[in-house]
Amino acid sequence: MGMTAVEKVLARTAGKAVVRAGDVVYPDPDFIMIHDGLVRGVRRELDALGIDRLASPDKVMMVTDHEVIYGSARAAEFGVINRNAAKAWGIKNFYDVGRGGHGHIFPMESGLLLPGMFYFDNDRHATNAGAIGAFGFRVGAEISRVLATGTNWVMAPKTVQLKLRGSLKPGVHARDIGFRIARLLHEGALDFELDYRVLEFAGDLDGLDLAARAALCNSPTEMRAYGVFFPPSVAILERAKKHAQRPFTPVFADADADYESSATLDIGALEPQVAPPGGIHKSIDIGEAAGRKIDHAFIGACGSGMYEDFVLAAQFLHGRRLAPGVRMFIAPGSEQSTRRLLADGLMQIFMEAGVIPLPAGCGPCNDAVVGPLHTGEVSISTASNSNAGRFGAKDAQLFLGSPATVAASAVAGVITDPRTLTQH
Amino acid sequence: MTSEIDRYNWHLKGRCYKLGHDVPHAGGVIPASMITAREFDPQKLIPHLFEETDPGFHTRVNAGDIIVTGRNFGMGPKMNGYIAMQALGLGLVCESMPFLAYRAAVGCGVPVLTDCINVTELCDSGDELEIDFRSGMFFNHTRDIQKEYPPLPEALQEIIALGGNTGWLKRWWQQQQAGQQ
Repeated sequence: MGMTAVEKVLARTAGKAVVRAGDVVYPDPDFIMIHDGLVRGVRRELDALGIDRLASPDKVMMVTDHEVIYGSARAAEFGVINRNAAKAWGIKNFYDVGRGGHGHIFPMESGLLLPGMFYFDNDRHATNAGAIGAFGFRVGAEISRVLATGTNWVMAPKTVQLKLRGSLKPGVHARDIGFRIARLLHEGALDFELDYRVLEFAGDLDGLDLAARAALCNSPTEMRAYGVFFPPSVAILERAKKHAQRPFTPVFADADADYESSATLDIGALEPQVAPPGGIHKSIDIGEAAGRKIDHAFIGACGSGMYEDFVLAAQFLHGRRLAPGVRMFIAPGSEQSTRRLLADGLMQIFMEAGVIPLPAGCGPCNDAVVGPLHTGEVSISTASNSNAGRFGAKDAQLFLGSPATVAASAVAGVITDPRTLTQH
Repeated sequence: MTSEIDRYNWHLKGRCYKLGHDVPHAGGVIPASMITAREFDPQKLIPHLFEETDPGFHTRVNAGDIIVTGRNFGMGPKMNGYIAMQALGLGLVCESMPFLAYRAAVGCGVPVLTDCINVTELCDSGDELEIDFRSGMFFNHTRDIQKEYPPLPEALQEIIALGGNTGWLKRWWQQQQAGQQ
């Protein structure tokens, strides 16, 4: 019996010949990530125990992405605490305000996260690593043990396999596949248990670039997958080689790997999807939501913060203005993407349309520390989820869609099928 | 380490407190306000354990009592409720838990068994239970039932024996310091 991709990566990093789902192992990670929201708590915990040094400071990436613009005195205080912690712990790879971007995006774009790698993260959206053929495992506040000792226990997860068949129609996006998968899982039409599983994609994947793969990591995560994995294509490997800041060895599942379950999904007839308030598992074809008036739009966050997502959105905003009464924010996933958007003129399109660019990071998707909604307001965005209160007021109506759907809707002022607007 | 695992009382004997399926952490185990306030002080959390479904729970429960739940216990990987359970000396036996809820319970030092299929059919609140978390043995003395469930994985036993992640880290650091001298 062969191994799945996650079993192979855990075997390599735990120094074992074979790892099977259910085994408890202690992987030596390729790096360790902690974001700005958790540093204070971890510092307090380690300080209280007298632990004043980390196992491998050089492996640690500290990232400021959850609250980049300090909108409060408390945020400014956290910024000081985080910088002091980085200094005390000797962390050189500190991607502070304006120096990196979104921790689940810029490392993939800049060749820090590469195919076959494994890392520990405090945040569950570390699943994005699967887009490039790597694994990031969320350990929450237990990142303190990883920082102090260099590792933590991992129970190797089971893997389920989903084969995609066909190719998307024009105007349909990888996020739409993710929304659809969430609905199918909820209905039981896809008979997968995703809790603590790795969802491995297979089948017709060559049409999915890195941004599309990152987009597709998002919804399974919200449905409790612990990892998502795409076997890297030739194009993904070439891209990784071009940007790689260190050597890497891609990993692929063995042909006789043990999948808990396997299913096939035809994506050829898929319509653009909208996730209405209440959750992505309620996703519907856009025709059922079209026409709903909106006040607020946002493109960015873990699932839609790649450069390609903004190129797509700009095609709907080119030469147009946001509808009266609509405010829209974008948060590119990396400072590098922001600079590219400036250099190639796309940022001009956003600005002329009336869009407000935010610095690279999570944007409103982190507890609406910027760009919140008031009671009763309606938003459509590419946020990770639409949990009540995620964008401020608990009774605000949060719709989710692809970057194309969000941009088209912001121009029209109502939820709009992107295929009804000419792309430039 | 073996001695610390051996010294720990893996054998709980007490009354059953039975819950149904799909009890969420926020609201079901502990009020959401305790979670959003990031309250981690066991003494402050204890009065609120199961407060919304069973006010005064903490005044009726004794160390060694066992919480037995249906499927999908503790949705939401939060720690607050488990901190209170650990401080009260309670055990937890579930038909199933989301894995990250299980991880949170282990991390807080709660003796816990999961994947105990249909265990809620073998007991009722008030029954005299006895659980060996190391072997997975379940006894209901009131009904004279015995059953074997998957035990706590050996690799996780030391975390629970040391009272959770913080206790584990404290002991690890002491050993590091001792090793340097």
